[in-house]
Amino acid sequence: MKKAICALLAVGLALTATSCSGLTLFSNYRRLENIELVRTVTADRDGDGVNVSVYGTAGEQSEARMYERSGPSVGVAMGKLILMPLGREAILSHTETMLIGEELAEISIRECLDYVERFSEMRLDTGILIVRDGTARDLLAGLSGSDTPASDTIAGLSLNIAKVGEGYFFTAREIASSMADNGCALIQCVRGVKEEKLFEARGDLNLEPAGFAVVKDGAVCQYLTDEETLGVILLLGKYKSRNVDLALPDAAVTVSVDLAETDMKPVFDQDGRLAELRVKLSLRANVINIAGEADITDEAVRRECERELTEIMTGAVRAAVRRSQELKLDYLDLEGVIRRSSPLKFEDMPDAWEDVFPDLPVTVEGSGVLARTYDIADPPELSGKEDKNPWEKLIESLKGS
Amino acid sequence: MLKGKAKTPAPPEPESGAPVSAAALETVFEGCYDFEARDVHIGGDTARLARLCFIDGLVSGSDVAEQVIRPLTDPKRFGAVTDIKAVVSMLLGGSVYVYTAKRRDKLGELAGDLLNGFCALVFDGEKTAVTFEVKSPQRRSVDAPKEEKVIKGAKDAFVETMKINTTLVRRKVRNAHLKIKEFHLGQRADTAAALIYIDGFTNEGIVAEASRRLERIRAEGVLTSAVIEENIVDNYRSPFPQVISTERSDKFCMNLLEGRVGILVDGLPLGFLVPGTFSQFMKVPEDHSGHFIVASALTLLRYLAVFLTLLAPAFYVAVAMYHQEMIPTRLMQSMIEARSSVPFPTAVEVILMLLAFELLQEAGIRLPSPIGETVSIIGALIVGQSAVEASVVSPVVVVVIALAGIAGYTMPNQDMGSALRLCRFLLVLAAIALGMFGVATASAILVYHLASLESYGVPYMSPFAGSEGRHLSRALFRRSMTVKRDREPELKTGGGGEAKL
Amino acid sequence: MGKTDRITERQLSVLIFVSLLSPMIRILPASAVLFAGRSAWLSTALALPAGAALVAFTRWTRKNAPEDMGLADMAVAGLGPVVGRFFDILCALWLTFYGGFIARSAAERLLATVYPNGNTPIFVAVMLAVALFTASGLTKTLSRTAEIMMPILVAVIAVVLLSALPDVSAAHLLPVTYRDLKGMAYGALPIFDVMAASAYFLFLAGRVRRPKSQRPNRFPWLIMLALVAFGVTFFTLGTLGEKLAVAMENAFFMVIRNIKVLGVVERVEAVVVTIWIVTDFIFLAAVLMIVAEIWRTVTGVKKRAVFVVPSAALSGASAFLIAGNAFAFQRWSDFIVPAVNLLLAAILIPAVMAVGKLRRRY
Repeated sequence: MKKAICALLAVGLALTATSCSGLTLFSNYRRLENIELVRTVTADRDGDGVNVSVYGTAGEQSEARMYERSGPSVGVAMGKLILMPLGREAILSHTETMLIGEELAEISIRECLDYVERFSEMRLDTGILIVRDGTARDLLAGLSGSDTPASDTIAGLSLNIAKVGEGYFFTAREIASSMADNGCALIQCVRGVKEEKLFEARGDLNLEPAGFAVVKDGAVCQYLTDEETLGVILLLGKYKSRNVDLALPDAAVTVSVDLAETDMKPVFDQDGRLAELRVKLSLRANVINIAGEADITDEAVRRECERELTEIMTGAVRAAVRRSQELKLDYLDLEGVIRRSSPLKFEDMPDAWEDVFPDLPVTVEGSGVLARTYDIADPPELSGKEDKNPWEKLIESLKGS
Repeated sequence: MLKGKAKTPAPPEPESGAPVSAAALETVFEGCYDFEARDVHIGGDTARLARLCFIDGLVSGSDVAEQVIRPLTDPKRFGAVTDIKAVVSMLLGGSVYVYTAKRRDKLGELAGDLLNGFCALVFDGEKTAVTFEVKSPQRRSVDAPKEEKVIKGAKDAFVETMKINTTLVRRKVRNAHLKIKEFHLGQRADTAAALIYIDGFTNEGIVAEASRRLERIRAEGVLTSAVIEENIVDNYRSPFPQVISTERSDKFCMNLLEGRVGILVDGLPLGFLVPGTFSQFMKVPEDHSGHFIVASALTLLRYLAVFLTLLAPAFYVAVAMYHQEMIPTRLMQSMIEARSSVPFPTAVEVILMLLAFELLQEAGIRLPSPIGETVSIIGALIVGQSAVEASVVSPVVVVVIALAGIAGYTMPNQDMGSALRLCRFLLVLAAIALGMFGVATASAILVYHLASLESYGVPYMSPFAGSEGRHLSRALFRRSMTVKRDREPELKTGGGGEAKL
Repeated sequence: MGKTDRITERQLSVLIFVSLLSPMIRILPASAVLFAGRSAWLSTALALPAGAALVAFTRWTRKNAPEDMGLADMAVAGLGPVVGRFFDILCALWLTFYGGFIARSAAERLLATVYPNGNTPIFVAVMLAVALFTASGLTKTLSRTAEIMMPILVAVIAVVLLSALPDVSAAHLLPVTYRDLKGMAYGALPIFDVMAASAYFLFLAGRVRRPKSQRPNRFPWLIMLALVAFGVTFFTLGTLGEKLAVAMENAFFMVIRNIKVLGVVERVEAVVVTIWIVTDFIFLAAVLMIVAEIWRTVTGVKKRAVFVVPSAALSGASAFLIAGNAFAFQRWSDFIVPAVNLLLAAILIPAVMAVGKLRRRY
């Protein structure tokens, strides 16, 4: 027994010694100083193959660099890329985003997703984005500036668009889960825009959201319009607040919608068939800006705003649902909603969901409420009205009512 | 190799049962310059002699003169006594003003008394001697503990003299059932030791086992604590301490009152307590001085420190070498930047820093205080700052090693701290070899080793293991003193032991 | 029987709990979700009463048995010296193979999660070496090790599961109706399979010290195991959904891969996987100890440790020979091993105990 223990200890020491000199048994051994930290990966179509690029930093003070390689598949190209010049090695465990070029996305998203799922270094919460109007590589190069790394720009957008309800960065896990459960998924699209006057120290391009893309059978089949994108965001609840411009006859009022609750109720007929899906949208908004002549203290004006708001939002929801039905892709997971709401009735439906869904009548109703204005209801110096004493105003209003 | 034999035959062993005589005694101590022998006239009569023997330095000369020689030579006291037997009887009866007087008829016992600071009056005719305890008062006085800091507790630490130490214990535990059993250890040095327990309260099995182990000691002499510790523990091969050693008398007494057996050794300013369990080495007497909530929080902090000191360097090595995905992005960037100019691999860097830390610590201990402090400061500056600036090591490594080292210093027991330092090294080696798997494997082996230890039948890791899951809170928290404290259940103490008979 | 090598009921319970975390993470949640779909997270509720019934039954059969009588002795007493020994040897052979399976399974898990492109032999060899070292020691030492590791394991599991809470979606877990009961029951089978494996530990029952007068203090291992099973299934299914949870290898560790603990530490799967390796160590050591205990009873040799080395060697051989690649291994893991386990632990062992009880052998 003692000899066995001594032998084990000797082996252990030998392992230690080899590891000290770098000759370790494990492939995930890396020397920290040789690491190229990758936060963003791109993939574009390149002839019949794939071109991948990464945006890496060797350290905080080091300049970020782009590296790219091509290959017949994502796996092969990434394999070439990871082993970089000068003995450096890319590490993908800190990758936050994968940008996929439009052209490649329309052929196959699946390969990229598969790589993220299988490669144990990569995280399943890697954000997947499709780049429109250009290649992912060019976008990344255009975003790279001396001041703000591209990855930070992308990370910033990811936080902001969710807050303002302009979009949502679906992660690899969410996309894979949706594809497995519903046969389709949504992916956020972005595009680069030239903004010469903004932040001169940055790169050539700025990043803006460009709606959602619908993925079916592992490839993009449709891009949603802005209205449809808004509808999806409302239905999925992927926002914190959303600014909406309301066009009144004499003014433009901007409101911030901070609550948009969706209540979906399936209606079954006597035969157990799903006859209708009623969607009720409850909105709550606050006035944040008035341009023009509009007395927001006037109830009629507020009613007009609420009507306009409701129309815009319900229109967006209708558009999103309509598109989903046209494509026969339930990327809104309406099946899940109905199943959770009436599980037994759903299971007892005589027709399959796939057959019912495309022609299912969906009625969308909404109600919007303007809850408040911030700080000031009616700024006298801007409206041109006489600055009345608040007590006088109150007496007037009481007389009026 | 020395050649030749001893020229004269060895004198008879002091423990022999040879009859007492002055000549035999002088033969035993032949060649000892500090052995003194002189004739004393009993009652001033030159015809009646007794041989006064003592070892100069061990006895108090003034006490010998005033309390032994003066009354013995007083004609008024001993002038009329002609029979030597009567003289011996009077000496034992208190005619000489010494509080301890013993009659010795065997040479070995007589020699032993002399070595214990007694002086002897040898009566060759009667083949007997009377010994008087006249120990020299030259001893270190009771002072505050030097190695164990005291904030609010008693500042009377043990000294080298066992009698003073037992006095300190008696003063704190005024219990008639407190037993102090004497042992003589060491085949050549004859060191006195005392086994202390509370009769009727302390588990008899532990007392018996402790006695047996003390008697089993086969050392030449007990001059260092390791002789005691390594002989009375269950597993001497383990680096983890299994005997509580303390220089604080209050801590010693607190443990006696919890049901432990204490051992004091003459010549060592330490008290030893058994059984010793892991949780005991995480406690300090200050826990009983401060507020119970604060004390509990500090105890939890110490346990956290155990994890930190053991695992921080190994965790860093495993993560930096094999599992970089665990490092947050920003930290990763700064670590890459910091390491870009360091020539050594992470493994070598960490080992070098650990060794440097240990060297600094050893140097600080060995050197005299003023220089030791200076060396520590210089070492910290050189290793910490200059090494980083010279890119010999990276700053993160310095932080990790320093954190682990400081966490180790929070251990109340230095032996425990040393054991953890050793294990820290082994965990780092395991991490270098096998990454997190190595850390897990080595940790499992360490836990297994700790689980295998017992101290006098008590599992070393109780109450965490082997205690039926009860009383776990005792190890981690201190209850308020207003709540009646249960005794340590694993010590299986008895029901008696009240102070009053 | 070593009179000083005794454990209590509680220690045995803790040892069972810690050991069974190893097969549980191999089986869950994929096996449960495969049968029960979305309702798999409730399957534990059905498995628990079945497990409790099995445990209660075995306790009842053992109630009047002498204190130092383990299952091996009970089989010999109940079935007779020939048939009883045959049964014991059968169990010993199966458990020897199972030990190798445990080591290989742990190695495959390490490769799939934190050591990509690694080598299974090195992990298997280290695991066997450590298990050999610990199995050669005392039962009480192993059970104390389990007692010490148990709160650490539970704390780590609790922290990571709670950190995964934000990613859980009700859409992946609901709806569940009474119609799902049948699927839930099937989904409960793999969980019950794991619980039934506790029957192997009855071979160590002869080492358990039973207090005469008071109720034995037991650790509620079955409830704790059920809670962990529920947590693992709930959080994995809730995060990944039904189809992904089945498709992924080590789905639970995929979920762990993506959580942030306290918003600070990311990618903690390395820590969780290696903490879980400790359960594999303990289970493997316990299995080797059980095998040695069986052989001690069958052969009459007093020292149990004599059998540990050959058992470990045979386990090592089975670990290397069981399957050439992960695909073949998956077949063993998904079908063969659970089926044999169920047959032996949930049916044969209780039957043997019942025969002995009915024949009033103990």
